[in-house]
Amino acid sequence: MKNTISKYYPLIPVFAAYLIMFIIGFFMPGMWQMVALLAFYCALGQSWNIFMGMTGYVDFGYVTFIALGTYGMSLGISYFSQFEWLGIGILVIGLILALFLASLSALLEAFIALRLRGAYFAIACIGINEGLRYFIEGAKIWGGSEGMIFFGALMQAFGKETVNQLTTFWADFSVFIIAALAAFLNMHYMRSKIGYALTAVREDEDAAKVMGINTTKYKTIAFLTSGLLGAGVGAMAWGLKLGHVYPGDVFVIHYTVECIVVVLLGGAGTLLGPVIGGLIYGLSKYWLAVIMPGFQLLIFAPIIIIIIVAAPEGVVGLLKRRLKGTQLEMFIE
Amino acid sequence: MNSMLSVENLESGYGPMQVLWKPSLEVKKGSITSLLGPNGVGKSTLLLTVLGSVEPWGGKIMYEDEEVTYLPTHKKVDLGLTLAPEGKHLFGGMNVHENLIMGAYRKEAGQNINDSLELVYSLFPILKERDRQGAGTLSGGQQQMLTIARALMTKPKLMMLDEPSQGLAPILVGEVFETIEKLQAEVGLTILLVEQNVEASLNAADYVYIMHEGQIKAEGTADEIKGSSDIREVYLGI
Repeated sequence: MKNTISKYYPLIPVFAAYLIMFIIGFFMPGMWQMVALLAFYCALGQSWNIFMGMTGYVDFGYVTFIALGTYGMSLGISYFSQFEWLGIGILVIGLILALFLASLSALLEAFIALRLRGAYFAIACIGINEGLRYFIEGAKIWGGSEGMIFFGALMQAFGKETVNQLTTFWADFSVFIIAALAAFLNMHYMRSKIGYALTAVREDEDAAKVMGINTTKYKTIAFLTSGLLGAGVGAMAWGLKLGHVYPGDVFVIHYTVECIVVVLLGGAGTLLGPVIGGLIYGLSKYWLAVIMPGFQLLIFAPIIIIIIVAAPEGVVGLLKRRLKGTQLEMFIE
Repeated sequence: MNSMLSVENLESGYGPMQVLWKPSLEVKKGSITSLLGPNGVGKSTLLLTVLGSVEPWGGKIMYEDEEVTYLPTHKKVDLGLTLAPEGKHLFGGMNVHENLIMGAYRKEAGQNINDSLELVYSLFPILKERDRQGAGTLSGGQQQMLTIARALMTKPKLMMLDEPSQGLAPILVGEVFETIEKLQAEVGLTILLVEQNVEASLNAADYVYIMHEGQIKAEGTADEIKGSSDIREVYLGI
């Protein structure tokens, strides 16, 4: 029994970090907005890392899931807010729609793109993302390029007071929950047969097949998990929080690149990596935007290059090496 | 002896390029069957198609009297087919022990993991010595041993070996072939061997197929092939 629990020790620093962030944001006036931004990057990094970290496949089109999550929530609110008796159920329907759209596209993408490897996979994912965006704009579904604005509907259904709480506290709080859930799932996968199978895929997919590993199945599981978590973040942090959605705002590859930066900074394939990466990236972005607005990317590009050359395993990789053989080793993964 | 694996008029290839042009062959239970031929005639493709890594276009693959032609790879491995791939596809970031454990991934193999490990370590004592060494840092011969050992961990009945002596020093080639004979005699495996080392394969094999341009051009017992000078001249160039 002790053995099963100790397998999950590396979750402790991750959850501790989230808890401290939450406490700082909740009790220190004026900090909530920044903490919410950090949680957003941590959650996205953690979710993206579930697939990329374990399989080595770089999903450049990951933002598709975030965008579809946003659309799911937007549709839920737009179409169901007229049924006032549903109450908070409206948001539940929105979240279910978000997860439904994301699973649909994840399974479709898994069917098409997971047959490809390396650069071809990355390009196929970008293609699907751009295709979806222009499909929505061109076919004029869900408001086409004009998107959907449903802040008013939200107001009508819940009243000003509740909406205020929902958008300024609960939307961000649920991002924390998703981040924690992503960490738990990541850890659980790492410590189970799924993790072994995916590690084998990352090391040598052909050899993994010869071992009798159903590589497609496990890749799909990780892809779906990663996509659903992303959709959750989209539904809450973009859909519910902003009250509107435009295709040109959500299907933007830039956000995938941010996921990559967060994960590489912290350490790909590690549990703590996305948290550390998310904190470093989120904080620097926040402060750089204050000190030198517009210069974030210019400064980040060289930092990323330095990290990739000097510490390809990220901050957590360095930390792991430093702590090897000490008592703290089992808490870092 | 009855048939373990039989391949009839198999066709497959990559993209628009057809590589296999209806070769047929049979592997008898408990035998070492060798598939010989020069580079690029489709020997490896045949093994990969049998295992399902390359999808068959047509023809029929029978394994233990069951048709398995279009079964996905992992299901075939469940039935006891395995491949020690060419070019030592090891998990380079893992150590020897971890590589072996990965070999026992499927359920049935996992239940017998200790027996399998014991067997593997008795066959390859050097792997036991190097237990915790990174697989990527082993010598070429040891990597080849590990590839075979890992395939053995899946508890196969039929093991296909793709050029196990490739790139090895002559003294190690002898060792590899000794191992293959041990797998047949002591472990009771059926073996389908693809090789370029004609001399050593002819000595080890019970039955030999010669492949050329995606087709089987000649077959016979090892002695028949050795005795037939035509075949040797035309297809082996020796």
